[in-house]
Amino acid sequence: MSKKPSNLKNIDRLIHEPTRLMIMTQLYVVESADFLFLQNQLQMTPGNLSSHLSKLEEAGYVEIFKEFIERKPHTALELTKKGRNAFKDYQKNLKQVFANLPE
Amino acid sequence: MNESSLREVEKRTYMSYHQDGLIDIFVGVFIISFGLGILLMTVTEFSMWFLVPAIFPAIMVPIWVSAKKQITMPRIGYVKFRSRGANRLMAVLLGLMVAGLGTFMVFSFSSSQAWALTLRNLIISNGMIIIGIGAVIVSVLFAYTMGLNRLYAYGLLALVLSLAGHFVIIPFEYSLLIIGLAIIINGFVLLIGFIRKYPLSQSDETNVEKTL
Repeated sequence: MSKKPSNLKNIDRLIHEPTRLMIMTQLYVVESADFLFLQNQLQMTPGNLSSHLSKLEEAGYVEIFKEFIERKPHTALELTKKGRNAFKDYQKNLKQVFANLPE
Repeated sequence: MNESSLREVEKRTYMSYHQDGLIDIFVGVFIISFGLGILLMTVTEFSMWFLVPAIFPAIMVPIWVSAKKQITMPRIGYVKFRSRGANRLMAVLLGLMVAGLGTFMVFSFSSSQAWALTLRNLIISNGMIIIGIGAVIVSVLFAYTMGLNRLYAYGLLALVLSLAGHFVIIPFEYSLLIIGLAIIINGFVLLIGFIRKYPLSQSDETNVEKTL
């Protein structure tokens, strides 16, 4: 492909990676979830999930905080406002890319 | 990634949180408490029968919350759902339906006009069918919005038993006891399957989690 469709460059590559897209999608539909829930839902190993979460946290898309439920520690995760907006933009841009493609 | 696939993910998440069968056991016990209350009234003429299902939530809700914390959360983790527009809309629709039906019943039962008398007789003679249809409507609404397909089966069971009650004359309280028992049994089957599928992990917080 010599020429990229114009909207393709707007696609957020951090979200576009399949595993991170799954994480972002899962967190987008809930208010917050803990590490174990995400791991079970996405069928991921703790190490893999942790490394992707760190990247999303660095980008400011995910907030990770510790909380105690029934005196037991939990790692709670939620999308930040920036993360939610980035996900919405990603959706919009991806739709645009496919809309611009010829039949 | 369109809106409908996001809704699918949301539904799947919701379903996975209720795959433990606890909600079934809760609903089943509630239906049985109604049946027992009515049975108590017919057997002992206890006029305050409605106290039995009325005190039920006060006892069962803390048990349900505690069971969720002790059984579900350590196995599949904790999730907080966003307040969903669809659920709110359904609650409003359900409320309007009940209010509309109640007003209609009060008007038709308090009126002495011919149409009201005919309607009243029709309602009384087909009470079980009306209850069955009502149960189906409520089950379908909840099944659709919550994505819990087994609620369709519960609605169908309620309809079959109410039709049986109409044609074979099964007392209403016994229908309630059978429906409640069937739902509780299914709840326990789901709970056992859930506990086997998700065994309790040894540590509450993995080492990887600690590094986050």
